Amino acid sequence: MSTRSGLLGRFGDTDDLALTLLDNMIWPILAVVVLGVLVFVPQTLGNLAAVQLLLWAAVPLGLLVLAESLCLLSGNFDLSIGSIAGFSAMFTGMLLGTCPSCWSVVSSPVLGFVIILSVGAAIGLTNGVMIAKFGLNPFLQTLAFLIVFQGAKTAMQTQPVTGLPTLYLMIGGTPNIAIAVLVVAFVLFGFFMRYTAFGQAVYAVGSDETSAREVGIDTDRLVIAVYTISGILAAVAGLMLTGFVGVVPPLIGEGLVFQAFAGAVIGGISLFGGRGRITGALGGVVLIQLVQSALNNSSAIGATQIQMINGFVLLGAILLYSTQTKLRSRILASGAV
Amino acid sequence: MSVEKDATADEDSASGRDAPDPSATPKMRVENVTKQFGRIIAVDDVNLAIRPREIFALVGDNGAGKSTLMNVLSGVHAPTQGQLHIDGEAVTFSNPSEARSYGIETVYQDLALMNDLDVATNIFMGQFPTIGIGPIEFIDWDETAERSENIMMNTLGRDVDIKTEVEFLSGGQRQLVAIGRALAFDPEVIILDEPTSALSVDATRLVQDTIRRLSEDGITIVIVSHDIESVLDLADRIGVLYRGALVDVLEPHETELEQLNELMTTGTLEAGLKSDD
Repeated sequence: MSTRSGLLGRFGDTDDLALTLLDNMIWPILAVVVLGVLVFVPQTLGNLAAVQLLLWAAVPLGLLVLAESLCLLSGNFDLSIGSIAGFSAMFTGMLLGTCPSCWSVVSSPVLGFVIILSVGAAIGLTNGVMIAKFGLNPFLQTLAFLIVFQGAKTAMQTQPVTGLPTLYLMIGGTPNIAIAVLVVAFVLFGFFMRYTAFGQAVYAVGSDETSAREVGIDTDRLVIAVYTISGILAAVAGLMLTGFVGVVPPLIGEGLVFQAFAGAVIGGISLFGGRGRITGALGGVVLIQLVQSALNNSSAIGATQIQMINGFVLLGAILLYSTQTKLRSRILASGAV
Repeated sequence: MSVEKDATADEDSASGRDAPDPSATPKMRVENVTKQFGRIIAVDDVNLAIRPREIFALVGDNGAGKSTLMNVLSGVHAPTQGQLHIDGEAVTFSNPSEARSYGIETVYQDLALMNDLDVATNIFMGQFPTIGIGPIEFIDWDETAERSENIMMNTLGRDVDIKTEVEFLSGGQRQLVAIGRALAFDPEVIILDEPTSALSVDATRLVQDTIRRLSEDGITIVIVSHDIESVLDLADRIGVLYRGALVDVLEPHETELEQLNELMTTGTLEAGLKSDD
């Protein structure tokens, strides 16, 4: 039975189909883009190695999309995830690295994992406390942290951080392991959001925070938890980026937040919370990375034009979301009693 | 001013139901309850006995104190003075959870529904049936669906698909989902805040039928409402609040709409009740 089929016959089959399509529109869009890439830039998906490279490159973005999706589903958003990824990776890199300007005070890669995750969690926790307990606007709070931690990263180091332990680089630097981390993260989160009271509470708070509070959900604690998890995911993205490149580049994490937004929104995660599926977000990740890889492989597009096209992709995602919302409202209004 | 009225209702106003027994131990008793906010007395020395299975309505003009009294009954506010009794036992509620532990559920006017979530999820939000796997509790969606369907179909008797998102529902159906959530806690008393406000005629009838059905099933209902026409049609008795005080408790079949209006707006009834005519 479809979601609306038992609704006293208020919606016809066409409306039902339209609503289902709107909720899952990432998949036909992805199919069209895959066809377009196969026709115009076939080398992007030319062989198994190319597909593996595409998915490997998608891992950091995928984790950031997951972080952003969690925030969006709770009715919030996080502009600082790219900066958290960059700062936590750079800070840990400075502790672990053996380059001349590195601090080199830690040699254990395991301790490195603990540190990078702790840094991400601490920044995320701070975001959450400022928003939930001090009532700061999520946009302003996370914008401030975007700037603060991007600046802090630059203040720490302006050169690539090298000499990192092999084990520390291995997770993000081994394609199959990195891809497995992404897949496991999405499967776990999909399951977690569907089958735990916390996951459902995230949807509830995103749908209506006041109502969620009235039914007994501790909304402050939930928002703090969401931002802390988001910070940890961003830190894992920083770890994956470090492994992918083999060093900590000075611009690590910069600009990724906008692609993460685009991926989440194209994947069907509502900008206003309470609606969207983690599987859809995964589709959004693949789509954004596919477009990115196709642009990189295309002889018609110069490297200097890619950023502009990324902007158009983000604009397209927002327009798509806006259209989806309007269509949904129109269908709802047509069935209203 | 304090009035306690517990007159026998020979004939039940809500047709088809047995009249609540006036000699039974009151389900809820409010004894000399006053609630003060600073220097403002919102509820003034109210005495009231609500019978088991009764549909009792609290009416009053804006600022009469009905919402405050409702909040005292539901555990949101502790009374400044006075005592609540449940089934004859003196109780003190410092929060709604404590009221819930005595079987008292409240459905607030805003319904506290999450529009993007489906009916079953709304009913069980915050209280999902779970399956423990190791130290982690996972939502048992089969049990959630079965119990939701049972509440909506059997208890409320309404064919609302439990997988429907709440935003697709009409006003009356939304009210039923909110009542359904209260029923998930197996309540003995349900307090309904303005259950028929802003509803169409059909939706009002739907909600009224549901309230009667719940009363037949043994649940005591307290309605706080402005909609006095609906209250006259539905309630077994009507408590009228005026400036924080309970000025009278009326039987609907002895009361005219104009009389109720007069009591609500002036606190007195010069012409007397219909039965006195």
